[in-house]
This record gives sequence, structure tokens and C-alpha cells, in this order.
Amino acid sequence: MSDLNLTDNKFIQFHQKIGFKFDGVKYYGYKGDTIASALLRNNIKLIGRSFKYHRPRGFYTCGIEEPNALVQIISEYSEPNTRATIKKIYEGMEIESQNRWPSLETDIGSINNMFSPVFPAGFYYKTFMGPHKNFWKKIYEPIIRKAAGLGKPPKEFKAVSTHLYHNVDITIVGGGLNGLIAAKSLIDTKFSVLLIDFDDRLGGILNNSSKVQSVNNQTPMDWISETVKEIENSKNIKILRNTLVTTYNYINHLIAIEDKFVGSRPLKDKVNSTLHKIRTDQVILSNGHIERFLSFQNNDLPGIMLCSSFEKYMCRYGVIPSKETVVFSNNSNSESLVFSLIKKGFKPKAYIDSRSGENIEPDLFDLIRKNDIPLYTNSQIKGAYGNKKLQKILVEDSSGGVNEIKTDFLCLSGGINPDVHLFTQSKGLLDWDEKDLTYKPAQAFQPTITLGSASGQFDFNAINKEINEKLVVFGIKPVQIKLELNTSHKFKIEKLWEVLPQKQTIWSKSFIDLQNDVTTKDIRQAISEGFDRIEHLKRYTTNSMGTDQGKISSINALGIVSDLLDKKVNEVGTTIYRPPYAPLSFAAIAGRNSYEYYDPERKSPIHNWHISNGAVFEDVGQWKRPWYFPINKDETMNDAVQRESKNVRENAGVLDGSTLGKIEIKGKDALAFMNLIYTNSFSKMKPGTSRYALMLGEDGMVKDDGIICKISDEHFIATTTTGGAATVLGCMEEYAQTEWPNLNVYMNSITEQYATFNISGPKTRNIIEKVFPEVNFSNEAFPFMTFQFHEYEDTPIRILRASFTGEMGYEIYVPSNQALKIWEKIISFGKEFGLKPYGTETMHLLRAEKGYIIVGQDTDGSITPLDLGLDWMIGKSKKDFLGKRSLIRSDTVRKDRKQLVGILPTNKNEKLEEGQHIILDKEIKTPTPMLGHITSCYQSPTLGHNFALAVIKNGQSLIGTKAFASTPELKTIEVEIVEPIFYDKENTKLAS
Amino acid sequence: MLIIDCPYCGPRDQSEFSNGGEAHVKRPDGSAEIGDREWGEYVFIRANPKGIFYERWVHSHGCRKWFNCVRDTSTDEILKIYKIDEERPKLDSFKNNVKTPSGEPNLGSGNFTVKK
Repeated sequence: MSDLNLTDNKFIQFHQKIGFKFDGVKYYGYKGDTIASALLRNNIKLIGRSFKYHRPRGFYTCGIEEPNALVQIISEYSEPNTRATIKKIYEGMEIESQNRWPSLETDIGSINNMFSPVFPAGFYYKTFMGPHKNFWKKIYEPIIRKAAGLGKPPKEFKAVSTHLYHNVDITIVGGGLNGLIAAKSLIDTKFSVLLIDFDDRLGGILNNSSKVQSVNNQTPMDWISETVKEIENSKNIKILRNTLVTTYNYINHLIAIEDKFVGSRPLKDKVNSTLHKIRTDQVILSNGHIERFLSFQNNDLPGIMLCSSFEKYMCRYGVIPSKETVVFSNNSNSESLVFSLIKKGFKPKAYIDSRSGENIEPDLFDLIRKNDIPLYTNSQIKGAYGNKKLQKILVEDSSGGVNEIKTDFLCLSGGINPDVHLFTQSKGLLDWDEKDLTYKPAQAFQPTITLGSASGQFDFNAINKEINEKLVVFGIKPVQIKLELNTSHKFKIEKLWEVLPQKQTIWSKSFIDLQNDVTTKDIRQAISEGFDRIEHLKRYTTNSMGTDQGKISSINALGIVSDLLDKKVNEVGTTIYRPPYAPLSFAAIAGRNSYEYYDPERKSPIHNWHISNGAVFEDVGQWKRPWYFPINKDETMNDAVQRESKNVRENAGVLDGSTLGKIEIKGKDALAFMNLIYTNSFSKMKPGTSRYALMLGEDGMVKDDGIICKISDEHFIATTTTGGAATVLGCMEEYAQTEWPNLNVYMNSITEQYATFNISGPKTRNIIEKVFPEVNFSNEAFPFMTFQFHEYEDTPIRILRASFTGEMGYEIYVPSNQALKIWEKIISFGKEFGLKPYGTETMHLLRAEKGYIIVGQDTDGSITPLDLGLDWMIGKSKKDFLGKRSLIRSDTVRKDRKQLVGILPTNKNEKLEEGQHIILDKEIKTPTPMLGHITSCYQSPTLGHNFALAVIKNGQSLIGTKAFASTPELKTIEVEIVEPIFYDKENTKLAS
Repeated sequence: MLIIDCPYCGPRDQSEFSNGGEAHVKRPDGSAEIGDREWGEYVFIRANPKGIFYERWVHSHGCRKWFNCVRDTSTDEILKIYKIDEERPKLDSFKNNVKTPSGEPNLGSGNFTVKK
């Protein structure tokens, strides 16, 4: 197919052709190819448009550090911003380029490039300020968002990811030369070891370059496969391939993401990726280094690539991006590329080095001379030129003369940086190395060992010494690895960050951050404007932001800044490297906690009955509660609630109250404990009676309410609100353990052990007498607010006479496994009396008519019992209870506190709404003083009109006066402030 | 993510625990003689030091037991864990080398960390 193939490559399976589509055109690659290597095979060099100026961009690297080559994978739920340099192709893969319209070749957005002189650093901050504050949100932001940016978010999405936990002694990050040697030395030791590598082939630099000729007299490939086999056969080492460590947290907690479908289409309903959460005693970072680029005019043109990346395409992927390339370097890292090129017979068109001849490695110098490669020492590239691809470069040689070289490819090397991201995430300290011109790990904060180039140790001859010194803590046998190299063993570099162009025009662009289109000019401008702190500079210019986090360029920016400020790089400092190392999808983080598993659903024991009887459900906390029971499809919620409420008031209704929290409290000091937790006094209560009780926070505000049943002084059962159960139990535990450990008291949740059915309505007694014929339900035998234990067909049940509706009512507590049996009996026996199930909405309406509050709806954490008019619930004679002292704080005794009142519209046809503000003036003039707001509002079928509860300032003294409710349309509704009770004020029904 | 050594269950992941704020805050006796100020400080005021901090934790997704802990808030290092009824360890029994503010370089924060 393509003459760019290097078919002697062992990693690419040239017999297995793979078809894929890029921007709608079909191409072929081979098994093992990344998108980038496959496209380069097809001589495609233009891959995307840049973020801000829409400049044409090509593949700059061959790995995770790639700033340009981000693509959208259409065939995988349209996954955006995928790095083409690491994503492997598979048959039928569909890929699209990003940030271009209408096409990659002709992109309208590239007009931004023409306007670039008006897009300086901080452009958005400076420009889009006026003329009106809404302009940003309504006009600028949507347009900019469309024009600038990365891929499009996927429309449809189904994440299939899982989490795995590891607890190991040692984790080795990076399975390159050093990682393999370290792992090999740990074979069959007492340590459990994880070896993690991002590639599917271990070996790192041995695979990616021709630096090493032989290891222990074996070819690198033979040595790797033998070593990997030994490691795999060991009992104590596990290898994770295709796994990227993204995060290094405190206490050696690593997070790594494993791609389960490398080079194949992810299967639906199969785990696509695994998030590994690793706890380890020791971390060995042998994750290598990253090459950096250099800044000169148009250093972003397609056809410019980093030296080691070019070599990696040749060695690892069997493709040569160009047969005639020029090499430009300021360091020794380019040597192995030149070696590889010559070995393969594609000698470079020219070699340009900013160093003088005597500083260039002698072997490299000889190699260039011997092969008649034009050599420019002491020379720099002034600029690169071309239309959508590199066509020529200008080189300033040692004499100052400028030479033009026609070429379609240029390889760059600006030095190498240890990959310190994980090390700094772990809070390790870095130090600037003036000789190697890079930040190197200096002092670890956690049990971390860095090895090889990840530790800034760039000398191949020092590998044995370093490993033996640093791994001595594990008591391993000293390793002795014999390396033969094709290139010099040491790293040498001369300072060069940026080459200034021949002529500085407003069109000159010398990039410092390719992904965010930041130029060196932007850096200069930001500094001249005073943004000379590196963290400010980063935010102001967006330098080293984005998905690549400036992996190939952030150190260059520090170099330029330090020169501009005339400071040492160490004084400039670096910006902090935060996790993750590279973007990972939310799907992977979410794991199984997505969709229906995001939050557990809690269901009443008779949930299925509700479903088969057509209930519409409401979420209350994690609970699913029947909201209302429509008789048919056409009945609206309002109609159903009116019908259900009317039925309770006229006949009887039954509510599934199983979700109410139930806590059992036992112990010798249970009475004393309950007296401290709740506002009420339980001392004089007789066993077998119950009481409505309030629980306060220490600040005196109502926290929860419920009914407390006293079985004896040593045994209570408390109910809580559905949403408050866990908090109340937690609070009881906290005080029992921390404040009053001297009290003998134990508590436990019995919420799920018992179902609760609330029957209420005038005909309740007829029904319940039929269901439980052996129980005497007369007023004398079973008065209001008492409870009794009974047996029902061998099932122990508890019946409590209480009411949340204002009608006479009973609550039946049944063990959950017997719940359905009794519920069905109640329903069938109640039929002749007109008994109907009702849902939470009807319950809310009925309790509001009676003026019963709902904690969390009528209260909001700023309401005291006094504000609710519930003074009678406070055990004033008690010495102490939660929040007691706060009830006489200056704030809680204020006269103008918001207090609970009832609200009725003067015109009975008017409708009120929850959340409406109560004001004094008929005309809304701004600002108008707001008295408070409506907390509950319903249409009452019994009253025949709207009514509401509200909390308003000084409300209790305003009862009997008129006020206004304001609507969002700025109209007002005249209302009357009344007592917060609308039904059976004399409480005759409760005790009937 | 911390590893917290529950005195009842042993070392577990932080996600099983809930933090309960400052420890050894004495709840004043409930009698009304306490002044507004003293009560207000108990209800609303908590310490938040950089450095050594006595705090409470509860093993909420485990044994539900409360216990106390001494943690260096600048390094997140847990120095001691003790049961609720055990004596509060003395401050000078911990080596606290952290200076407040803790030696950030003048420029740039990236290279900033707390030296142990």
C-alpha cells in the first residue's frame, strides 16, 4: 500500500489489514496501529484545527503528551478529544477531526488567524466586558463557545466501567527498562507487586528507540520477552497493561485507568474500562521522561514533530512519517533518531544543532560527516513556512547567514524532562538542574522511589548503581545489567528556549502552547502587564492548560519567563501539577454508580402492590413513596388528590407510612436519654402512651419531629421523618457516645423491619374492628395517643392511635415480611366502608388543613418551636435538652422572628403558590419589605378554596390583619393572615 | 484519601468514616446560668488550626463508634487515634515541625509542599 511502511517492524502485524474512516474517507492500517500511525502511513499529516486561531495542525508527538491530534471517535458514542497518538484502530472505526467547519481542509474559523493581532493574551477578559452585563451570557459566550474549543460532547452515552481495589506492597509505575529491571529483581520476594504500564507492550524506550543495542548480550526484544515471561510466571508480581496511572494521592493511594478494549470495538454491556484504586506501601516511579519542543516562527505547522516521537513511529509502529526530514536540536537526544534514520536508509536532509561542533557528541558528529549529511552547527531555525503543511525552513548558520531549506518534515528536540507529574501530585519537591535544564525530583514526601529518567538520571551507565542503591530497602540481590548502546550514554544540552524570527511582524507566531494557541508574544505581553507570577501568567494566558497540560512546553515557558525576568528558573517556580495526569472519562470515575445504581432506591415492603394499583411515585430521600393513586390514565394529580382527600374526610383512607424512620431505644437510662434528646418531658408519661415530640439542634432550631412510644422507662420506640431517620439516629449515637457515655442506652434502626399503615377517616373504627375483631377499639379501651401490642395470626403487631390528618386514625406496625397480607386485608375489609389508599400528596394536604407542620417544608433550619407556636411541647421544667439554652439566646427571643401562620386569599377564587412572598403593599415598589413566604399551599376540597401556611415576621401578632402575596408577574393577591389551622380547631375528630 | 485506624475495627479507608469536627469541646451544663457568650462559643465556634488538631471521627459505615484523632492538618498525617474515654494526649508529645505559614516559596506554588 504505502511506501512509508517499515515492514520489518515486529510490533505491527502487516498481514492484518484494518479498514477505518477518517472524516468520511476510508483508509487502511494494520493491527497494532494507532490512529496517528495509520494516518501517517496514508500520508495524512493534517489532523485538526487549533483551539483559538483554527490553524492547521498535525501530529506533534507519538504519545500521551500530544497537544494537537485530538479526534472525535464517532463509533464509540462520539467520544470527543481522544488522542489519535494513543488510540488504537479497529475494523470499522469512525473518526472525525475536531474544531473545523465545514471541513478540515477549508475551515471558516481560520479567519481568526487573520484577526490574531486583535486576540492578545487576556483578550476575553478585556474585550467582552460591555456594553451590558447580559452581553456575555447571551451573545459573546455562545458564539465563542461554538468557534473555540475542542470536540462536541457525546449525545448518547452508556458507560460501562467498573472499579477494582488493590492492596499491595510495591507498585511500579512504568514498565520500561528501569521498571522491568526493578520488577525482575523483586521476583519471588515476600512483596506483592503491581507493575503498571500504559502500553500493551512493556519495554518503553527499548521498543521506542534504537538507543540500546543489547541488554545482557540479548537483543532488547528478546530480553524484554524473557523478562516479562519471568515476571508473569512469578507468584508475587501482577502486570497491568494498557493502564495509565492518573493520580497519586496521599498515603500512596494511586488511581489508574485500564482500557479493556485496545484495538477492538468496545462491546456493549461489557466493561469498557476499569478504574484501579491502589493502596501500596511503596511506589516506584519509573515512568520515564517527555521530550519538549522549541519555539520559533510557525513552529506549529503540520510536518513538525518531536525527534523521539518520529523515532517511535519508526521503531514502535513501523511507519516513517517522512523519508526526507530535517533534524533540529539543542541536545543529545536527537542522536538516536539520526542513527535510526541512517540505519533504515533514510538519511536526514540536514542536521541543525544550536550547539557548536565540539559540543556535539563525537559519535553523532562522525555519523553525520560519514553520511554526507549537511550539518549546521551553532545554527538555529528562524522560522518554518508553508500552506497547511511544512514547505521550507529558514536556518541561520554560525556566520549569521540565512539559508533556506525546502523540506516537508522537521524533527525537533528541545531537551527532555523527567515525567514528574505523579511525583509532584504526591507532594514531592522538585529542584531545577542547571546542567540538564529541567526540574528533577528532589525530595519525596511519601514512600516514593524514582528510577531512571523519571528521577532525572539520564545516564545509561548509572542504571545498575541507582537501582542497587535505591532498592536496597527491599533487601534484593544486587542487579548487574550489561547494556550496549548505539548512542552516547550521557545526556548533554545547551540552553535554547526560543529562536526570535528574522522579522518581527504582527503576524509572527511562535507558539509556546500548541493546544491553547499561546504564543511567546502572549507571554511577553502578560509579563509587561504585570502578570509575572507563574500561576497568574498561566491563568491569564491559558499557557499549559487544556487536555495536555503543557506536557511538551511548560518547562519552555518557565525558561522564557526566567530569561525575561532575569531570574533563575528555580525562583520562577513551576505551576502545580494536579491530578489527573491525563483526562479520564467521568464514566470511569462513576463506575457502577451510574444511572439506576447512582443512588440506591429504597422501597416499602408492599411496593409491588402500589405498582399494580397504578400508584405514581414520589422520591423522598432514597425512598420511593406512592404520590397518588389515579383511577385511570386521564385523572390528573390534582383531581386524584382532591378525590383522595375528600374520601379520607368522608369515609376513610389508608397510607403506606412504612418509610417513616423508626428507632428503638433501650437501656437502664433510656428515659433520661430521651429527656435530653427531645424537647418534651417523658418522665410522667405512662407506659403504653405516646407523644408528639420535637428534636432541636444545639442552636435551638427544629431538626426533626416524630411520635415517641413509651413501652417502659427503659424502652422507647421513636418515629422520625422519612428523610431524617439516619440523621436522628446518628445524632442520638453521637450524644450517647460522646456527651453522655455514662448513660446506659442503646439504639438501633428498625425502619426496615416494620411496615406502617396509617388508617384514618370517620369510618376507621368500623374497618379496623373488622380487621382485628379481638381488639377493643372503643375510646375508653384505646384512647388517643396510646398504643397496644397484639397478635394477628401469630404475627406480633403494634397498633398506635394517632393521626396526621386530623381525622380519627390508627397506625399499624407490622413486621415487613407479613406486611402485604395485612395491607390486603385492610383494603378488602375496608371496601364496604369506602376505604381507599392515598398517597403522600393527599397526606400533605390533609395535615396542612389541620396545621401540622412538615419539618423541612414549613421549617428550614431557622425556625424554633416558639416560632411554630409549639411552646407546649417544651419540657420547661427539664434542666437540659438539646438546644434548650439556645431558646433564650438574644436571637431566638427576638420579637420580629418569622413565625408560622395560616394564609387565606380574600377572594376565594384566587390561587396561591408555595414560595410566594408575603408583603404589606398592594403595589410592588422595589425594594418592598418582605415579611416572609408561603411554605405550604393546597386547594382544599373541604374548604372549597386555596389555603396556605407561611412563615412571616412577627406573624403571631399579625393574625387577623390583611397582607399581599406577590406573584412572579409582579401582581399581588390580597390575603388574610389567620391561625395556622383550618380544620377541626377543637380537636373533636381526633378523639371521636 | 486517608487511611484511618479505627480503634475498634482496624485500618480502613476514609470513605467509611465521617469527620465530627473539633474534639474535646465541652458541652456546657444545660442550666440557664451560662452566659450567651459561653453558650454561643460552644454552639458556633470551632478551632481550625494549621498544624496539630484534635478532632473527632465516627466509623459511620462500620461500627458506628466515635473516637478521637490527632491530625496534622498541614500534612494530613494522623499522629494518634484514641478512644473517646481515653486521656487527651499532650500537645508536646508530638513533634510539630511545621511552621505557619509553612515555607511556601515566594514565587509559584507548584513547587510548594510542606517539608516534613
